[in-house]
Amino acid sequence: MIEVEHLSKIYGATPAIQDVTFSVEQGEILGFLGPNGAGKTTTMRILTGYLPASSGTARIAGFDVHEDSMAVRQRIGYLPETPPLYPDMTVESFLHFVARIKGVVAGDRAKQVESAMQRCNLLEKRKVLIRKLSKGFKQRVGIAQAIVHDPPAIILDEPTVGLDPRQIIDVRNLIKSLAGDHTIILSTHILPEVSMTCSRVAIINRGKVVATNTPEQLMAELAGESGYDLEVEGNLALVQDRLQILAGVKSVERVSDETLSDDRQRLRIALEAGPDPGREIAALIVGSGLGLYEMRRTKVSLEKVFLDLTTEEKTIDPDLVAEAYDRATTSAGSLPDSTPAVADPWDADSAHLDSTVETDSTDDRSEGEAP
Amino acid sequence: MRTLFANFVAIYRRELQSYFASPFAYVIAGVFWLLSGFFFVALLMGPQGLIQQAAYRDQMGITNPPVDVAYQFLSFFLGTLSSLALFILPILSMGLYAEERKRGTLELLATSPLTNWIVALGKLMGALTFFITMLLPLLIYQAIALSAADPPAQFTVMLLGHLGLVLLAAAVLSLGMFISSLTDSTILAAILTFALVLFLWVIDLVADSLAGPVGEALKHLSLIRNYTTLTQGIFDSSSVIVFLTYVVLGLFLTAQSIEAFRFQRS
Repeated sequence: MIEVEHLSKIYGATPAIQDVTFSVEQGEILGFLGPNGAGKTTTMRILTGYLPASSGTARIAGFDVHEDSMAVRQRIGYLPETPPLYPDMTVESFLHFVARIKGVVAGDRAKQVESAMQRCNLLEKRKVLIRKLSKGFKQRVGIAQAIVHDPPAIILDEPTVGLDPRQIIDVRNLIKSLAGDHTIILSTHILPEVSMTCSRVAIINRGKVVATNTPEQLMAELAGESGYDLEVEGNLALVQDRLQILAGVKSVERVSDETLSDDRQRLRIALEAGPDPGREIAALIVGSGLGLYEMRRTKVSLEKVFLDLTTEEKTIDPDLVAEAYDRATTSAGSLPDSTPAVADPWDADSAHLDSTVETDSTDDRSEGEAP
Repeated sequence: MRTLFANFVAIYRRELQSYFASPFAYVIAGVFWLLSGFFFVALLMGPQGLIQQAAYRDQMGITNPPVDVAYQFLSFFLGTLSSLALFILPILSMGLYAEERKRGTLELLATSPLTNWIVALGKLMGALTFFITMLLPLLIYQAIALSAADPPAQFTVMLLGHLGLVLLAAAVLSLGMFISSLTDSTILAAILTFALVLFLWVIDLVADSLAGPVGEALKHLSLIRNYTTLTQGIFDSSSVIVFLTYVVLGLFLTAQSIEAFRFQRS
């Protein structure tokens, strides 16, 4: 439905996005996740035909966004970062206006406007001037104008920004209800939003897509990071070494926790991928006569994935940089004969993943040793 | 073609609606009506007014050349209206695009299946229609006053004069729209438009000081000169063409500037 290939946009000398490649299938919700200034808005503006790309192609429903701009514009609904609203119009007349300029035929307009207002919960505000609406309602009008012509593709730039928690839930539910019939791309820098609403996520950082996958699989990529948090009473020295050598345990470390009394301690156990040794861990501690007060499964949140993927500059391992560089140069060498060097995000990503996993555990350790 | 027209109507209606929904536009219209009403009375019935002058001539027994008060009055009054319009029109045109840019609604227009031309044309016609509605009440009291004229006023002079005023307004609004598309500050747009229009107003003064074909050519660009031709009741197609050229130029430049804005913005 939406195909983006090797898209780059350069402002003057600074690249805003570089070699962005991804695709969205019919009916999917793709979350475009990245810190501020990562190039989300630029990518979306190119998709909507608002900006031309410096190189690369983007197609929506088979139409090139630049060559067949008019055909694309008819098939997209777009909510820019600031909802484009005319403050001196009522909600209803504004939506009629949008329906008209989007080319909805006269006979369907009233019906479409009605259903857009209904979907966005705007019926009670239909006769209210947009100027008088609260931020949350304005955002909803913004979404309503993006769906009023029932476009196959919907592009939403930070649809939940500036809303209160209740409104955020409403908007997310609305977006989820639109999937299926519509293909949606939404951008956000709020992480839980992606795991809650999106069927797939593309993480973009500094103008580059660093990972594309389902939220679950992205987390699974970092499965090594899952583990247990334990609160144990007694002399830990007795069991720490024995825990360490259990099958499936990657590392055991003490974590300082001021809130605990002196005889209790917190342990963090990182697991390897494979069978879960939770049963053995509990048995070992209890069997050694120690008290087990808490045992909690820790999972890598998308937040962590995101941070790992987007903060590589600070934490990257020099060896891995060299390795990635080698790989890059060899693949560049083989460029002419092989199929066009498709950005191969996976290769690059695993490098990032490894590096961050590495450094993160060192962080934790230092944290544990500090006192 | 049909969709182009439908798009035009959509933009046109929204633009008109925004004028009629804004207190700002009513203030402008109110000031315009107040001032034009004042000049109307002063020109016609004031102590130095045309009726007084005619009466004075009668008393002195001057009958040659005969004066056509209605005709004189129309050309004076239309001249005054054009001076008022010089101030009013930049204010009407200043927000056409500057507001859209400031509010971010230009992004909506630019990502909708509309051509820049249609948007510009719809906006221009919206602004022009608002200006024409500002003129309508004036027509009523002109009609009342002129119906009492003896010999009867020439209807064609009145018609041509107002046609000239509308053409003049269209030209100024079109250029103002272009300037509005260059900035997102409405005040800046108004000031620049005012400066440009003032320049085109007085360009014949510049032209007079220049001898030769350049001066001759510049003379024809003067807004006020072409306007005066029409208010004198002379239908000069070249004047009409000059005004229409300004309109098309403004539309063209607006469309180009919006296109360029999208392509260069960073």
